[in-house]
Amino acid sequence: MAFIPSHKKKHDTRSGKAQLQLTSMMDMFTIILVFLLKTYSTHGQLINPSQDLTLPKSVIQHPPETGLDVIVSADWIMVNDKPIVQTQSLASMDGYLIEPVHQELLRYAREAQKMEELYGAKFSGKVTIQGDKDIPYQMLIKVMYTCGQSSYPNMRLVVYKKEG
Amino acid sequence: MAYRPSKRRKNVFEMEHTNITPMMNLMVVLIPLLLTSAEFVRLGVIELNLPPAAVGPEGEMLDELPQEERKKLDLTVTITDQGFFLSSSVAVLSGEQEGGPSISMVNGEYDFDQLSRKLYDIKEKAKDRFPDIDDIIIMAEPAIDYQTIISTMDASRGIRIDGEMITLFPNVSLSAGVF
Repeated sequence: MAFIPSHKKKHDTRSGKAQLQLTSMMDMFTIILVFLLKTYSTHGQLINPSQDLTLPKSVIQHPPETGLDVIVSADWIMVNDKPIVQTQSLASMDGYLIEPVHQELLRYAREAQKMEELYGAKFSGKVTIQGDKDIPYQMLIKVMYTCGQSSYPNMRLVVYKKEG
Repeated sequence: MAYRPSKRRKNVFEMEHTNITPMMNLMVVLIPLLLTSAEFVRLGVIELNLPPAAVGPEGEMLDELPQEERKKLDLTVTITDQGFFLSSSVAVLSGEQEGGPSISMVNGEYDFDQLSRKLYDIKEKAKDRFPDIDDIIIMAEPAIDYQTIISTMDASRGIRIDGEMITLFPNVSLSAGVF
C-alpha cells in the first residue's frame, strides 16, 4: 500500500522544551540601565531633606554643606529633627525673636564653643535652613533673625536645583 | 500516491537562539547597584551671611558698613501682591500707573523675566558709579511666600542673554521691611 503521510504526527504539539521568552524584559532592563547611568552620582547626599515639607526650586549652582539644621515645615519648627515650637503659634508672637528656638540654638552654640576651646575646631556659625516653599515671608524673617541673635549668622537656604 | 519521506539525513543547520541568561545575570546585579547611587533630585544652597553684630533692634538685616565718600546705590526690590517695586537712593522706577508697581504682575503671576531685564538696564547704566553695585536688597510684604522670594533672588542674581549667563547682583540681603 502506498505510504500515507500521517495526520497525527504533523499535528504533534508537544514538542520538546518550552522556551521562556525573555527578550522583552531585556529591552526594559536596558532602558532602565541607560537611565540609571545618567542619574549616577558619586558625591552622595549630605543633607536629608525633611519629609513634611517641599523645598522651593532655584537655579543656584552651589553644592550643599552640612551644618546645624533648622527645619521650618508647615506644622513645626525643628532644630536638628527635634520639634521645638508649632508654626501656627508664630503668627501670634510679637517681635522678631522666637524664644524657644533661640534657647535651643544658644545651647548648641555653647556646646560648639566648648568644642572649639577643647579641640580647636573653629565654630563656623553656619546654620542650614530648610523651609517649605509656601511659608510666608514674615516667618522666614523671624527664623533668620532668631538665628542671627543666637550667634549663627551664616545662613544657608536649602533648595532643589532646577535648570535655568 | 504519496512517497514516503526520505530517510536520508539532511544537514539541517538549526539556528540556536542566543542564551539570554548571562546578560540577565549582569542586569540583576547592575540595576540595584545603580539604583542605590542614583540621584533623582539635586539639592543646592543659597548663602546669606549676616555680619554677627549688625542686627538692630528693629530687625533690619542690612549690612552696617561705615559711610564712604561715594554715594551708595542701595538698590531695593520690594515684592508686594501687586508686583515689584524697584527703588534706589537715586530714584524710584515708576511703572505704567502713578503709584503703581514698577513691574506689574502678568496673568496673576510675577514677571521675573521683566525684573531681570530691568535690573540688567540698571546695572549697565550704573556700573562703576557706585561702590555697592553688586548688592541688592530684597524686601517683601509679610504674606509673600518663600518660593517667590527664592525666585526673585534667582532673577536678580543673573540673567541669561543669548545663551550667556551675565551676573547682575550676586550679594543679596533680605530686609524686614514694613509690617
